[in-house]
Amino acid sequence: MPAAPGLVPRFVIKVLAWLPVAFAVWYFTAPVLLWPVKLVLEAVCHIGFRDLVRGVEQSGAALTFATSLSPGEAAGAGRVTVDIDGLLYSYGLPLLAALVLAAREPGWPRKLALGYAVLVPVIAWGVMASFLKSVAIASPPLVASQTGFSAAQREVIAFAYQFGTLILPTVAPAVAWVVMHRRLLERLRERSGPG
Amino acid sequence: MFGAELTPWGQEYFVVPWTNALAAISTSLVTLFDANVVAAGKVIQSTASGFAVSIEAGCNGVEATIVLVAAMLAFPASWKNKLVGLAAGIVAVQGLNVIRVISLFYIGQWSAQVFEWAHLYVWQALIMLDVLIVWLVWVRMLPRTADGDGRVPPAAAPVSA
Repeated sequence: MPAAPGLVPRFVIKVLAWLPVAFAVWYFTAPVLLWPVKLVLEAVCHIGFRDLVRGVEQSGAALTFATSLSPGEAAGAGRVTVDIDGLLYSYGLPLLAALVLAAREPGWPRKLALGYAVLVPVIAWGVMASFLKSVAIASPPLVASQTGFSAAQREVIAFAYQFGTLILPTVAPAVAWVVMHRRLLERLRERSGPG
Repeated sequence: MFGAELTPWGQEYFVVPWTNALAAISTSLVTLFDANVVAAGKVIQSTASGFAVSIEAGCNGVEATIVLVAAMLAFPASWKNKLVGLAAGIVAVQGLNVIRVISLFYIGQWSAQVFEWAHLYVWQALIMLDVLIVWLVWVRMLPRTADGDGRVPPAAAPVSA
């Protein structure tokens, strides 16, 4: 099947047309879209950070970690809570949606659902790494020392945070889209030359 | 590549000079129509309003470039095609990144809320879209060969006696 001329430019225009719509839907439905992320975070904290995190709460797009850390030495000083803005790590969702809707390959609703399922743990990675960075690296020494992380573990947390902030939120939707649209890529390859 | 970028050596000898150059290039373009703008290191400032933006990690296009380089190196193609694609692709990605920096500089002077949205969400998505489009165009321009990739097929190679 010959590729239609101008396939890439037409695709770009469609993506740019869908992006504002996707961003609006994402922004207003973020509390719902981030609920599975909260469930993943709860599971991760329960399995790996039970001593550190007492619970994860969600308010709108904000995910709040209730920790067992004390903010000070005074009795009755309460416990440290950390708020993470889920929007900061989930803007790949509207990007993926715009890409899928612009391509409109057969089974696009399934691709949307599958892409969302793939991105949920990616978003959870970013939020979790941001929380760990907050308590283990960015918090006052009195709080950070209570986490019990070694210097090497702090380095791992710092890398996980950078990777989860700078790379994953944008790369994950692009990779997910490419993997789910191999037929479109094949059509692109069927004719050599620009356009 | 991302790990190397984060090392002190990578920061000192690559990321900081790269970011400072981005600020200088953006400022030199802005001064074509707005003389009240100066750059100091990675900071671009308006001498008229005092507003300034600092180009930080994630906004200097380094990560986007790393992703593009990784995608092109991982795709089966000849080294010549990869190098040509990388050269053109990096220019395309950094070109849009200069537009991002300049637009954010002026959006920030206009509205803090719009700046927040454009900075944190919209431009992040657009830069990655740019990377994807550049990669798609490059894939489309690769010469088609019998084995389905951009490499020269073995049959086309010179045969020695």
